[in-house]
Amino acid sequence: MLKIWSMKQQQQQAENAEGGAGKKKKKVTAAQLRVQRDLQELTLGNTMKMTFPNPDDILNFTLSIEPDEGMYKGGVFNFSFAVNQNFPHDPPKVKCTQKIYHPNIDLEGNVCLNILREDWKPVLNLNAVIVGMQFLFLEPNASDPLNKQAAEDLRANREAFKRNVRTSMSGGTVHNITFERVLK
Amino acid sequence: MKVKIKEWNAIATWHWDMPEDEVCGICRVQFDGTCPTCKFPGDDCSLLLGKCGHSFHMHCLLQWIQQETSKGLCPMCRQKFEWKQSDEQ
Repeated sequence: MLKIWSMKQQQQQAENAEGGAGKKKKKVTAAQLRVQRDLQELTLGNTMKMTFPNPDDILNFTLSIEPDEGMYKGGVFNFSFAVNQNFPHDPPKVKCTQKIYHPNIDLEGNVCLNILREDWKPVLNLNAVIVGMQFLFLEPNASDPLNKQAAEDLRANREAFKRNVRTSMSGGTVHNITFERVLK
Repeated sequence: MKVKIKEWNAIATWHWDMPEDEVCGICRVQFDGTCPTCKFPGDDCSLLLGKCGHSFHMHCLLQWIQQETSKGLCPMCRQKFEWKQSDEQ
């Protein structure tokens, strides 16, 4: 008779013994494994860059988006990504680190993107989030706003909104709010 | 000619009845591998087949389903996730 079961038990005992002795070894968490995979599959193109402030920590990084078309063309927009240990069951936390004029990003940098909140599901990956972020700059969405004033401007007059975007991106003032200069 | 077999060693392999190379959509590890919390593949870390046709490592899916934000939906197609009983496979 094959002794697979007892072999398995031995294996498990050996593992347990090791676990007791070698606790100093850092355990790679499920979230880290999954992020590693996601990073390998990433297609950033030339409009996006990713940087890791701490190379040992792949769960926290920044993404900069430089749209090459649309009304936000010419700007460099920085976001911080914080992936928690419950990833991929929880979405990454994404914040814009600059004060910008955008219907779906508030002045604190919170981002309104469905897949970062209610529509997140664990089969989505970082690439999906990044594509979604890029889409926000190509097609700002006035129907689900975080910055209500900007959304109203976009709905009322697209051309005026475009002008506001240009003003804000060069560090100007729109509706008495001074924005950060984000031009390259 | 008579051949006498003195000794023989049987070797068996196994894999789940799934297309090879297919991965669990949640942890992105092959079905024949384990979910991130298990060490040994096989019966200890089995698969769950959904009626919607999407399958996952059981542990991966249960972690998702137990979360309130999942609303009980399949992470792939957002239909209500119901698993196939083993007799209807």
